[in-house]
Amino acid sequence: MKKTKTSYLLRGTPSALLVLGAGFVMASSADIRAALGMGAAVLAALLLSSIVISALHKIIPAYAKMPAYLLIITGFVSLISMLMEAHFPIVVDMLGVHLATLSVSAVIYRDAEEVADHNGEAYSITTAIVTGIFFTVVMAVCAIIREVIGNATIWGQPIAFMQDYKISAIAGAFGGYLVLAIVMAVINKLTGLHHHEKEEKECK
Amino acid sequence: MKLLKTLSILLVIIVVFSGAMFALNLYTGPIIESNNAGAEFAPLLSVMPEGSAFDGEALIYSAENAGNSSLKDVPASVLSIYKEANGQGYAIRCTAESSYSTAPMEITIGISADGKICGIQIDSYNDTASFDFRTKDPNYLPSYIGQDSTLADVSIVAGSTFSSTAFKNAVSEAMNVLAANDMIAAGVKSDAQILEELIPTVAPGYTKLAESTTSGNIQKALKAENDTGFAYLITEGEATYLAVVNAMGVCKVYDTEGADVTTAHEAVATEAKTQAAANQTKYDEALATKLGRMMEGATEITAIELDTFNTVVAAASFKLGDATYYGFYSRSIGFHQMDVYMIIDENGAIAGMDAKQFIFDEEYFMAFGGMDVTAYKQGFVGSTAETWSDDTAVIATATMTSNAVKESTKDAFASFNSIKNGGEQ
Repeated sequence: MKKTKTSYLLRGTPSALLVLGAGFVMASSADIRAALGMGAAVLAALLLSSIVISALHKIIPAYAKMPAYLLIITGFVSLISMLMEAHFPIVVDMLGVHLATLSVSAVIYRDAEEVADHNGEAYSITTAIVTGIFFTVVMAVCAIIREVIGNATIWGQPIAFMQDYKISAIAGAFGGYLVLAIVMAVINKLTGLHHHEKEEKECK
Repeated sequence: MKLLKTLSILLVIIVVFSGAMFALNLYTGPIIESNNAGAEFAPLLSVMPEGSAFDGEALIYSAENAGNSSLKDVPASVLSIYKEANGQGYAIRCTAESSYSTAPMEITIGISADGKICGIQIDSYNDTASFDFRTKDPNYLPSYIGQDSTLADVSIVAGSTFSSTAFKNAVSEAMNVLAANDMIAAGVKSDAQILEELIPTVAPGYTKLAESTTSGNIQKALKAENDTGFAYLITEGEATYLAVVNAMGVCKVYDTEGADVTTAHEAVATEAKTQAAANQTKYDEALATKLGRMMEGATEITAIELDTFNTVVAAASFKLGDATYYGFYSRSIGFHQMDVYMIIDENGAIAGMDAKQFIFDEEYFMAFGGMDVTAYKQGFVGSTAETWSDDTAVIATATMTSNAVKESTKDAFASFNSIKNGGEQ
């Protein structure tokens, strides 16, 4: 795929980026608090690892990059986990093991290898922020849908008139896939329009 | 060289991040520890007054390390006891289990320093949902607030007798631990409460007591819902007595020490018998009719008054040829009211048994794997009190009904022994 500097999200459709991050999106989008917590963790991990990797990528030899980047990402995820456990223990309980699995997240590693490794700090930071915000927004949208329809709650507070109408399957794994698929389809539609226009311009 | 460079880079990264984590842990470690302690004590704080706190030394008893505790007489139902850090009282975690529970209920109780319940909650309920006393009576749990160890103003929930009784007993046991170890002042039971608590001991056949009509010196009248008799709290002079009258009209009087004082308080017994006679259903005729059907040719059917206070509501002797038999009509409680008839010969062996429910609730019993009622009843014949086994009464998947039949059988044997030992009135 041609690498361009104008696309801050994955060169290709953002929905493809969602596929890479489907694991933690699914795990954290059952509750809006968990979604925002995971979004903040992803943003922080992306940002910090991008800064360090873009600063060090010229020093680290090619054959050592993979283990080095993994160590850096894991280190930052661990530090973020410690801070979240101290200040947001409820969110950490909700996220469970999925917070730790950010260390091996394809999204963060993709960002490290394809962006931070080849670009300067400014571009890397911008990409990290945009990617992090993108995921946070997607997780929040999925969480609102799943929490309201699946649990009849919002921010953990019950919605009285919806208690008899909640669809519990939406709050579960099936619902997670369903909602994510719908969100991906919407993103595809929106970004598909943008890419068609770009391709037409490039062809002319 | 390459390998060395790689290893060096990785080592530097590891050292840097290790150092960062160590430094961050100095800040986050105490906060996380405090959060964890808060999570552990959150259920306890919810039953304690505002401003309560529990520290690391709060746990003064744990069932897992009972040997390390100085507390004595702690029943198995108590899981742990915590002392509040500011002297506001204690929190106790305990379990309650009835005969028909699938798993114990887990309860947390907050007891203030003055020995009264300040909070109570059920952390885990595993009984049948339809028997949940919280839905049958939403005011039941709040009725415990402010009670001392006597639980004088706490009753049982109708329709959830077994689970609410188990719950009340567990709370009582938990509070008694604190009182027995001088951690709170024990509540003082009134004479009325002491006498009422005697009823299950002196009249074990009385189930599901409900308030009945009072008169004269009768302060409180209770009727057993299975119609096995009445219990009255009667005052005479300055003192109050418990008078129990069985379905056959026989009365016994007890004082607050649990002693039988019938002979010394005949006026109390007379008043109780008169009140009971006006309200008690008599079952002699029903028994006589049933005995005639069960034993064709039975003659000289004579009612017997017994001084037993179990589930037997009528007894009679009859002749069949030269042999003498004794018939007993028992009203025990299973899944619903059971009417069990037992015939015992003069040697103490069962000669016949039947239950009204086998006839009128045939579909109910046939549901249990197609129960062979004839074979079931025949299984009792020939058994004596010594040879009879609980297994004889078992009806597959009908535990409560089986237990009711067992109770009726044992009470019939006890009533027979009473006749043989001169308990006939």
